[in-house]
Amino acid sequence: MQTIKKISSIIALFISIISISSCNKELEQVNEAPVAPSTLPKLDQSLRDNADFSLYYALVVRGNQLSLINDSTRSFTMFVPGNAGIKALINALSGGFVPTNAPNVVFESFINTQVPVAQAAAIVQYNTIPQVIRASSIPNTNFVFGPTIPNTYFNFSYPSTLNPVDTIPLLRLNVFPSKINGNWLNNVPIFALDREASNGVIHQTATLAIPAQRTLWDRISTDTTLKYLKAAVQRADSGVAPVSSSSLVWVLSNFGPDITVFAPVDTAFQKTLKLVIAQALISQGLPPQTALQLATNLSSTPNVFSNPLLYGALTAQTVKGILVYHILGKRAYTNNMPTTATAFPTLLNTVFASHPGVKLKATINPPNPFVASATVKDVYNNSPAANIIINTSPLTPEPYGTSDQEYINGVLHKIDAVLLPQ
Amino acid sequence: MYMNKNYNYWIAFVLLNFFCVNAFAQTQKINGNVKNGQSKENVSAASILINGTSTGTFTNDKGNFDLNVKSLPVTISISAVGFETIEKTINAASEKIQITLNPSNALGQEVVVSASRVQEKILESPVSIERVSAATIRTAPSANFYDIVKTLKGVDVTTASLTFVTPTTRGFNSSGNYRFNQLVDGMDNQAPGLNFSVSSIVGLSELDIDNIELLQGASSALYGSGGMNGTMLMTSKNPFKYQGFSIMAKEGVMNVDGSQNDPSSYHNFTMRFAKKINEKFAFKINAEYVKAKDWRGVDNRNYARLATGGHITSGDRNTDPNYDGVHVYGDETTIDLRALVFPTVAASAPFLQNFLDTLNSGKTIFVSRTGYTEKQVVNPYTINLKFSGALHYKITPKIEAIAAAYWGSGNTAYTGSERYYLENFKMGQYKLELNHKDWTIRGFTTRENSGDSYNTTVATRLFNESWKPSQTWYGDYTTAYLTARLNGASDGDAHRAARALADIGRPEYNDERFKKSYDSIRSKTLAEGGAKLYDRSRLYSGEATYNLSKFTSKYADVIVGGTYKIYELISDGNLFADYPGNPIHTHEYGAFTQATRKIGNRLKLAVSGRYDKNENFKGRFTPRATATFKLAEYNHVRVSYQTAYRFPSNQQQWIDLGVGSGVRLLGSNKHFRKKYNFDTNQLYDLEAFSVGQVVKYNVVDQKPESSTSFETGYKGLLAKGKLLVDVYGYYGQYQDFTGRKLVAQFVGGVPTNLSDTTNRYYSLPVNSPDKVKTYGFGISMDYRLPKNFAVGFNLASDVLKDVPADFVAFFNAPKYKVNASISNSGFGPDKRMGFNVAYRWQQSYFYQGDFVYGNLPDVQTLNAQISYKLPTSKSIIKLGANNLLNSYYYDGVGSAQIGGLYYVSFGFNVY
Repeated sequence: MQTIKKISSIIALFISIISISSCNKELEQVNEAPVAPSTLPKLDQSLRDNADFSLYYALVVRGNQLSLINDSTRSFTMFVPGNAGIKALINALSGGFVPTNAPNVVFESFINTQVPVAQAAAIVQYNTIPQVIRASSIPNTNFVFGPTIPNTYFNFSYPSTLNPVDTIPLLRLNVFPSKINGNWLNNVPIFALDREASNGVIHQTATLAIPAQRTLWDRISTDTTLKYLKAAVQRADSGVAPVSSSSLVWVLSNFGPDITVFAPVDTAFQKTLKLVIAQALISQGLPPQTALQLATNLSSTPNVFSNPLLYGALTAQTVKGILVYHILGKRAYTNNMPTTATAFPTLLNTVFASHPGVKLKATINPPNPFVASATVKDVYNNSPAANIIINTSPLTPEPYGTSDQEYINGVLHKIDAVLLPQ
Repeated sequence: MYMNKNYNYWIAFVLLNFFCVNAFAQTQKINGNVKNGQSKENVSAASILINGTSTGTFTNDKGNFDLNVKSLPVTISISAVGFETIEKTINAASEKIQITLNPSNALGQEVVVSASRVQEKILESPVSIERVSAATIRTAPSANFYDIVKTLKGVDVTTASLTFVTPTTRGFNSSGNYRFNQLVDGMDNQAPGLNFSVSSIVGLSELDIDNIELLQGASSALYGSGGMNGTMLMTSKNPFKYQGFSIMAKEGVMNVDGSQNDPSSYHNFTMRFAKKINEKFAFKINAEYVKAKDWRGVDNRNYARLATGGHITSGDRNTDPNYDGVHVYGDETTIDLRALVFPTVAASAPFLQNFLDTLNSGKTIFVSRTGYTEKQVVNPYTINLKFSGALHYKITPKIEAIAAAYWGSGNTAYTGSERYYLENFKMGQYKLELNHKDWTIRGFTTRENSGDSYNTTVATRLFNESWKPSQTWYGDYTTAYLTARLNGASDGDAHRAARALADIGRPEYNDERFKKSYDSIRSKTLAEGGAKLYDRSRLYSGEATYNLSKFTSKYADVIVGGTYKIYELISDGNLFADYPGNPIHTHEYGAFTQATRKIGNRLKLAVSGRYDKNENFKGRFTPRATATFKLAEYNHVRVSYQTAYRFPSNQQQWIDLGVGSGVRLLGSNKHFRKKYNFDTNQLYDLEAFSVGQVVKYNVVDQKPESSTSFETGYKGLLAKGKLLVDVYGYYGQYQDFTGRKLVAQFVGGVPTNLSDTTNRYYSLPVNSPDKVKTYGFGISMDYRLPKNFAVGFNLASDVLKDVPADFVAFFNAPKYKVNASISNSGFGPDKRMGFNVAYRWQQSYFYQGDFVYGNLPDVQTLNAQISYKLPTSKSIIKLGANNLLNSYYYDGVGSAQIGGLYYVSFGFNVY
């Protein structure tokens, strides 16, 4: 009996020890380190907390965009001008009616009464990128050019939150931050970078970047100083339907590739055409004087491109070849251009990959951040570089602007000479 | 002509034996009854042997026997497992002899056969061996006898399903093990197409098991190809010895806490009927039926799959867009949006190009499709149905002919390179055998039918494609993802929104559309674009052994034997490179001999050697040498050198199967070199190419894996025979492991980029040039306490060493594992009650499988049973539990999660 009791005790101990210890562990989980919630204010609070952003905040409110930047589940990069930048813009938009030294309340009133809600919304959305782009994420421009290096670019395009066509969900107008020759949003200087918020980051700009509403072709086809360019495009598209993606009109009219057009003004075309036509006439046996006079007459109007007598000299292919030599496949603002002459491919390189392209050069005179002058040089050694006709004031919009003209599909710079690819 | 002559010899031999029947003549019949001296119950299957002869019989299920004797008086010896042997002299045939056997608590008295292919006491075995008797099974706490094997010293198992358990020893544990042989009544139990044993679903039923012997480590020298990690031999009950009608019913409950499934029932019914018609003829039939809600793989952790491996990683379906749950299927379909979708987006919306470049910092953006969990796509029930029957005819008193059939069918799961669900899987084994005490001739065939088995991963991926093609799904996903990102959503929110949109209309698993489509997919074979495995492969085997000792005993006891096998692969081109009506045949033959000599009374030496030849590989010679030294009575030391090898499996030789992602699994047979133009279109190392290196790959002949093992051990009785101690230590080396390598073939032969859809990718078997070494030890102690109490303990260790960097050995063995038990075989009123409590612990280790790699935590299980005997009907009622504490565990990462099973069983005429 004693033995039984002893054994029973052993059994009880055996089972109780095992019972206590026999709990199998769950399979190991691999957990990511938890991310501590941000203690920073959200974007809307950051704007409110900064007195210098009060006018932009008023613009945000006017455009009903507070809910956008107040959404903690989303994150944004905002380009926000200080009050001085907005005042200058309103001063310009009002034709000087609102002086820049007026009290803030006057500008707020202007915003709330004179700026349509949709326009205010569009401006805010255009100056907002739906992801966090800190200064460190904006790449320096790569100016290397060569047929084997396809990613030559001047800036880095980011979609803004502005969708110009609701029915196309992925459509956004792009903005173009860059860090060459300073810090820029398109051609607007950035003064201060990386103001952190819990749902994004704020970069302070000199003024507002205004979203484009028209296409390059809208400008080219209506500008009174670009009549020859318009006629040349139409000549180049002879026999090609304008809805065809191979037509230049299509390229200049459609939202898609962001391009840069160096647009020779009419006088530049006249000068070049006169020489080209005169040489053709001389080669046909006309005396030089006669040929020059006739060429002057023929090139005096844009109709020169539709004159059947000149179809032999100005074939559609020749004209198209010259025109695509004026177009870069990327958007380049003057402030994106290098300060030493550097070659870049044009659309001609899509056909002739090894073509040396054009050389761009910008001149900046610090402390003024804006480009003082800029040139585009073709491969024709005997001609001087074409000058980009710089705006009289830095951010002059159309119809008076001549450089850095914003369009939904690119940027346009007027130049004073025609570029010849050979 | 030569063959005809041989046939004539055999016919003459058989006829001669038949005529020998006439030798039974002019005899007297004695009869009697054998009872248990303690419980007074009848003792069945007790051996009654006339002293000095091989003539004898067994008691039937009522303990009765009758025996013809030439003359009286005669002395008979009466013995039974678990009883002390006695002798009795019979003087007259008229009286019914009453014999009483007293239960014996003696240890180490079992006789084993497998260690040397001759009968010997387990204490004298020259190599490590474990034995499980029918009595052990009867009193074990485990619901399934395979769970008993797990408690043996040094044994590891992988449980892929309630009914699919794979044991092994000394490492290399996996579900569906190629390196561990299982023999059922002398027949290799491997499914010819699957190449691993399926005896847990097509084998012996519990009531028909006489014993299980398990050889640890290399054992090819006696049993041929395979068995690098051991061989398990299961032997059924002979109907001459074990007679009568027996049934066992187990009813249980599983999933009691509802964490994996709702609480569900467990049913297990087993029946055996055996009858000795007369002294020459006996038969038996067996049936077993198991049905339960199966254990399921519920490991939904995120798994990062790589070309040559993978790892568990953070994240889940909600946080990782490329989530691939271990037991979630369909989510293996993954693509890099940046590489495969963004170019299309950028072409139509070039203004987004830079934006696309910025997403995820310009890195890859892999996204997987939404999957379904194993529970959702797999039949919840495991069903196992076994039938077997055998006719035994004693051609002479010394020659017994056996015709036997074993057939099984079932639904179960196993874990290979992916999770496979075997549904209506069927396999039959049919044999003819002649047994003599000196020789055996056996012929058998194995016929496999994969039924409606399918690959769950493939089936679910195909279902996703049928519901919404990936091209459409990823298009929808990308649009929604980019839209969300363009609205300022975080990357995680954008992925979640994208998945929600892309999955709109996705059928739930219990939706009728899901079932209909899923069933359609898994009813089509892989070659037809479905997920069904089609395999009707067969194995034909003939073997013979002869004990020449009566001629050679002056010098040594000698055994010789040989085998001939023909594998017939029939998949109609679905799995193998065969064609309808043109199966692939592979011939394999081998011969062995063993010589054993006793030197003095203490030393026994044995050497054996085996030569095997597969028609596709060079012949292999595997030697073995053993020595057993008797320290004292019942105390022996053993030393052995063993070798083993494994010819590449039929799959490794002949598989020809596309497995998705453009990869085709190929066998190593030279046939494929011509079929896929390896000689004319150069292969390249795919892994190297994917990191920018162009490395040619030239196919080399595959070699069999091989291993060697040195072992020493001690087995003996101590403490006046109450303590049985068994200790071993081993050191082994493995080489020429077979793995797989991904290679690429480029149209035109010129390496281009990997996105070219005309490229071809192959997974080829290769031998690893590295050698790995293992060592380990085991110790077990069984102690008999007073009052029928017994305690047992064993500890084993297996270690892999000198593993080269980046070498994946799939060793899969815990460094330490412990089993402990305490039991009583008779207590309470009339000693009718018994109990058994068994505990197992194994140390955590890093599990490497083709399906998944991951850390396997410590596992502890507690099994227990308490029983009550009804002597008059030889019945036993048992209340038991597997995993008593219902503490869920895995014994293989990627396999099923196992919980508690609580059952009550009633066994009638169980002996």
